[in-house]
Amino acid sequence: MNTSKRRLALAGVISLSLLAAACGDDEETATTEAPAATEAPAATEAPAATEAPAATEAPAATEAPSGDVELAAGEVFVTGSSTVEPISIRVGELAGELSGGDLAVTVEGPGTGDGFKKFCAGEGDVTGASRSIKDEEAAACTEAGINYVELQVGIDGLTVATSPANTAVECLDVPALYALLGPESEGFENWSDANDLATELGSAFVPLPDAPLVISGPGEESGTYDTLVEFVAKKIAEERGVEDAFRADYASSPNDNLIVEGIEGSDTSLGWIGYAYFKAEAERMKAIEIANKDGECIAPTDETVADGSYPFSRPLFIYVNVDNAKENPAVASYIDLFLSEQGFAQVVDAGYVAEAADKQEAARAAWAGI
Amino acid sequence: MALVSPTVRSSTQEQVRQGLTRRDRNVAGLVLQVLLLLAVLTTLLILFTLVIRLVTPAVPVFRERGFGFLTGTIGSDPDKVGIWPGLYGSFFIGLGIVLIGIPLGIAAAIYLEEYAHDSRLNRFIVVNIRNLAGVPAVIYGVLGLTIFVGWLDPITQGKTVIAAALTLAVLVLPIIIITASEAIRAVPQGLRDAGYGVGASRWEVTRDHVLPYAAPGILTGTVLSLARALGEAAPLILIGAITGLLPRTSLDGAFTALPMTIYSWSSKADVPGSVLGFENVAAAAGVVLLLLVLFFNIIAVVLRNKYEKKRTGT
Repeated sequence: MNTSKRRLALAGVISLSLLAAACGDDEETATTEAPAATEAPAATEAPAATEAPAATEAPAATEAPSGDVELAAGEVFVTGSSTVEPISIRVGELAGELSGGDLAVTVEGPGTGDGFKKFCAGEGDVTGASRSIKDEEAAACTEAGINYVELQVGIDGLTVATSPANTAVECLDVPALYALLGPESEGFENWSDANDLATELGSAFVPLPDAPLVISGPGEESGTYDTLVEFVAKKIAEERGVEDAFRADYASSPNDNLIVEGIEGSDTSLGWIGYAYFKAEAERMKAIEIANKDGECIAPTDETVADGSYPFSRPLFIYVNVDNAKENPAVASYIDLFLSEQGFAQVVDAGYVAEAADKQEAARAAWAGI
Repeated sequence: MALVSPTVRSSTQEQVRQGLTRRDRNVAGLVLQVLLLLAVLTTLLILFTLVIRLVTPAVPVFRERGFGFLTGTIGSDPDKVGIWPGLYGSFFIGLGIVLIGIPLGIAAAIYLEEYAHDSRLNRFIVVNIRNLAGVPAVIYGVLGLTIFVGWLDPITQGKTVIAAALTLAVLVLPIIIITASEAIRAVPQGLRDAGYGVGASRWEVTRDHVLPYAAPGILTGTVLSLARALGEAAPLILIGAITGLLPRTSLDGAFTALPMTIYSWSSKADVPGSVLGFENVAAAAGVVLLLLVLFFNIIAVVLRNKYEKKRTGT
């Protein structure tokens, strides 16, 4: 019932947003807690959807929330991933501007895991995540009676990089990276030290150059670390019965500037960093192409990251506390803005890759379905 | 002397005379003097480099932004950010220390120096206070998180500037107690005896004679501790100071402080297309923090001079 009140508050866009909800209904897979009651209005509007099958109507529906989102006054607390934080901040700044300061959004970024811990303890209305919620985190939320909805807001590409002066390495595959970075590589001080292991794992990129191996990357506390472990080490480590982590003997830093300095600082460096930071400092690093399953080398670009053909790209999510959103119109306003055209533009501004229009529509549908 | 002098040969006399009058009579002493001077120069050079390194990138911020930099809030665009939430947080942390830490510290020092007997227990307490002064700041963050954010949540409302002020007040308490104790101990015993001699009570002697006499020393300690607390970031990380976005400042809501702002800006990648970098705004926030600390130092120096005049006058 609170949902319908919220919709009334958005009177200017009610029909269009319902249309969007109706259109997106069959794509509504991300909603975990869709209450039956909200299905009803969507169902009654269903005939309206048939009135607007024209392709030109669809963009109109997506534009509707951007033009005149009416922002409620109040406070919103956003926690979670430090990767999603820049997006949440930008949308928060936008909310402040558009509402004349009435909608005050506080944003912190302790990390995806810490964010879920707080979120599932009832601290925070929204949490950002650079991966899907884990089963045990979901269980913690359920146990605490926190109902949430998962909304995908953008895509982040990881970039494995080296110094621009490094001409010996152009492309690597997952086995080669595991041989260089994995838990069994501790003590390797030269790229060629990893040759035996890489050959054993079936890498197509041996022999590796005979050059000093200087590694810099984010530390264990970072979501970017977790994601690369997932991409590179998880499967192989499981097969080999070792811990799915990276070697501990490399220069790790939570500070992206220091990682960039590390990658730039040695001619034969190896490092990895979020695509956003890579893009901002692209002239200081050279991206190493990554071989996909077919052995094709793919460079990280806006396109390859967006369409998922670049092997090391990942989706970015926000999780919204559904009950808070229903009780606090400020939270609902903030998410409305987040999913509007203006909101999604912030994803690009923050240096990430925007999702395709149909996926944005799916997120709006999931949100409308709470 | 007269008996000795004829037995000394003239060459020896000459040697002694030269040894006493030659300019380079003490090579080791001269070397030491040069080394000590070098130490001073190195320190000055480091300080000078630091100030230049801080002020140079900060200048464009003050030129471009002016007062907007003081009144703006933290955020994503270095061309638009400001330090208001940090100033607000640091001001109330300072206020908390002045209102809670300093009176508590001085009271404890008065007790230890004027009232407590020289018992084994009291010596044990003093040793522990001295050890507390050496505990790393981040440990106080853990303490603050447990006690002020956790147990005292009804008072502090969780991760707020109140919890931060209390934590930092506790952090500097040992320093205040130690410096105040030393200042009180330096008060001549005769002053107290004179007071008791005319029938003053212990509190009257403490209030009217010991404290005014010890005031300059106590003030120095309190200002040093205030400056330390204002520059501290580590405990605030644990208490949950915000570094992302904080448009609204309040006593019972989320908070941040200047050192946290500087810390977070220092580790942010530059935004392409912006005039100022995060490096610039971090430096500018550093300059503001330095000025804030300098301001407190000046107040203390003025107060100390006032009390010192009073002391030498009476």
